[in-house]
Amino acid sequence: MTFTSWQFGVFAAIVFGAYYLPPFRPFQVQLLVAASLFFYGYGQPELLPLLAIAVCGTYLFLILTLRQHRWLPVGIIFNLGLLAFFKYKFLFLDPKAPMLVDSAAIDFLLKLPLPIGISFFVFHNISLLVDLTRDKTAPVPRLADIFLYIIFFPQLVSGPITRAGAFMPQIEPKRLSDVPFIDAAKWILTGFFFKLYVANNLNEMTSYMDFPLYETLQTQDRWLLVILYSYQIYADFFGYSAIAIGLALLFGYRLPINFNLPYLSASFSEFWTRWHISLSNWLRTYLYFPLGGNRHGGFRTYLNLMIVMGLGGLWHGAGFSYLTWGLFHGILLVIERPFLNFLEALDSAPLRALRVAVVFFFVTMLWIFFKLPNFDHALGYLAGMFTANTNPNPPKLFYNLALLYSLPVMLQHLRVASLFEGGLRRWEPYAYGVLGALAYLEAGPESAFIYFQF
Amino acid sequence: MQSNVPAWFGKCSLSAALIFIACGIATARFGHSLQLPATTARDGALVTLNRYVDNPIPDIVLTGSSLTFRLKEEYFETPRLRNLALAGGSVITGLQIVASQPQIPKIIIVETNVLSRPPDAALVERFSAHEGRHGLFFRPIRTAVAAYENRIHAPVSHAEVEASLQRLLEQPPSDFDNHVYVERAIQQMKEEYPISIVQKNVETISKLIDALEQRGARVLLMEMPYAAPIEASRASRTTSEIVHRAFPDPGRWLPMNLDRAELRWADGVHLDERSAVLVSRYLDERFLSRPNYARAPSKN
Repeated sequence: MTFTSWQFGVFAAIVFGAYYLPPFRPFQVQLLVAASLFFYGYGQPELLPLLAIAVCGTYLFLILTLRQHRWLPVGIIFNLGLLAFFKYKFLFLDPKAPMLVDSAAIDFLLKLPLPIGISFFVFHNISLLVDLTRDKTAPVPRLADIFLYIIFFPQLVSGPITRAGAFMPQIEPKRLSDVPFIDAAKWILTGFFFKLYVANNLNEMTSYMDFPLYETLQTQDRWLLVILYSYQIYADFFGYSAIAIGLALLFGYRLPINFNLPYLSASFSEFWTRWHISLSNWLRTYLYFPLGGNRHGGFRTYLNLMIVMGLGGLWHGAGFSYLTWGLFHGILLVIERPFLNFLEALDSAPLRALRVAVVFFFVTMLWIFFKLPNFDHALGYLAGMFTANTNPNPPKLFYNLALLYSLPVMLQHLRVASLFEGGLRRWEPYAYGVLGALAYLEAGPESAFIYFQF
Repeated sequence: MQSNVPAWFGKCSLSAALIFIACGIATARFGHSLQLPATTARDGALVTLNRYVDNPIPDIVLTGSSLTFRLKEEYFETPRLRNLALAGGSVITGLQIVASQPQIPKIIIVETNVLSRPPDAALVERFSAHEGRHGLFFRPIRTAVAAYENRIHAPVSHAEVEASLQRLLEQPPSDFDNHVYVERAIQQMKEEYPISIVQKNVETISKLIDALEQRGARVLLMEMPYAAPIEASRASRTTSEIVHRAFPDPGRWLPMNLDRAELRWADGVHLDERSAVLVSRYLDERFLSRPNYARAPSKN
């Protein structure tokens, strides 16, 4: 069930209606867990046992770790093992190998579908094991609370990745009178607008980036489409995160902000504090710091950055393109690091604008590896950006439509919304009404959220 | 709870409602007749289909795939001709939509090169029921862009482009090297050839021809010319064999005896512009010289 379907609208309305009814108040957590299980299993109920194994297994290791800390690495390995099995097994195994196919049990296991959102809920599980076992005297949380933290439906499939230490304390009885309806509506309307108006419409155009369609493109259109894809992936993921945050607010939970105008970043390290913030925070807290962070000299710092970014790339998918994407970001972080303090000391608006442009250029170019997970196709696309295409019948792209569908991302990054915090404040509700209407009227063709595949 | 919630939501709903009302009034006033620009093949199909069902029924209609789609209507001298070929689509989609309309053209040309695609049931459904086909609201941004594009690129008639077409024909055939695309197309044809779909599609075409000819139309089949290596491929030959076996009457077929040396295919499969003009001219001659194409229905 996807956020943009009418089925989800009905589902969310029913759950919200029941959630605050007096008879259900003592069972709010259980109700959300049941709703989340329904949400996850809708259309693919065979995934539910896998989810249950992940959550119950993590709960078991949580209890064991609270008794004896040596169980913590076992619990982490259990979760990483789940992720490795479902996501990366075919990097090492040939599914057609006779010794695997001949064994019915192994064949069954290999044919299990990839659980949607596994990359996200495995990170939740690890956060749970680490955060909740720091204090040995802490009581063992209820299984229902653990379930809620891991499978809370607004964040289950694509985050934001919430730290257990930030979410678990929020589990308490909720009242309708505490719901920040306006904030929730703003997030939800903005999210739907960015997904339906921006991302889905741009997706129609960027479909020409797929192989072999891209070979018919004019060279300048290849450049344009890369920029459009940069806007599309932002609008798509920002849209999802915004809807998730708004929905969570309706149920009394605050999820972390996942994006903060990332294309305004003047450095690559700043970019990672503005893009997919919850993933960056997770990787920093649970990987970069345990590896030693920047505490062991320059070489170890650079090595740690490369390891974290390489694994971050692979987290998105088991492919050479994703690894390349992550490693290139690592290289960019390493290259800029020695100059960062010097650049930050130069207080110059033109220089900052230039730096923003440079960061945007490299970040955008690297999205090609996201759009084309086949490494050869990605290289082919890149090569074509620097050679003239002599195809006499290139597809026609409408630049005015490209501009109009990209405009919201540009305006957002120009901080146009801040006008509504000042003199235009009283017009704010009208503006959100326009966003809602345009999201419906001008919605592009249905397409799955890009981050669902991760 | 925030104290101004009802007022905030009231204003928000008001502005949304005003936009809907404005779009609804504009849609009722102007309809959906503006041709939305095509950004994808499917979008192009919607433009083509919208125009077909909104405008008077033509005398001649071409149905087919992206091969026939290249034959732009303005290339034809023949009046009242419509090209309903759908880029990326199945010939049956267009044919079913033609058959679903209350009135049908006198002559229906069916391209038979690409029969491996199933029809698009959603498109057929959308354009079959004329009443209620359009929503209450058009898309405001696309419609505005369409108005702008139509203004600066108004549809052209054959008379308006005749001189430029003539200039194009006076040029020598393109020397664009398409061998990479040809090889890739052949490779793709080797990878998958859904013979069962082709056979099923041929049966469907046969039934549709019967139904259309019972209503007074004359249906002719046509094989668009391919680049020689594509024409020699197993997939092309098999398709041709299946369809000729199903329709053995030579009178059912529109002959395509063009000078192949003059034709070029940008990607091995699709004609380049000059070649598309040549094929259109050739078809013009057939239509003008053989008015009996519109003769009484005949069965194979």
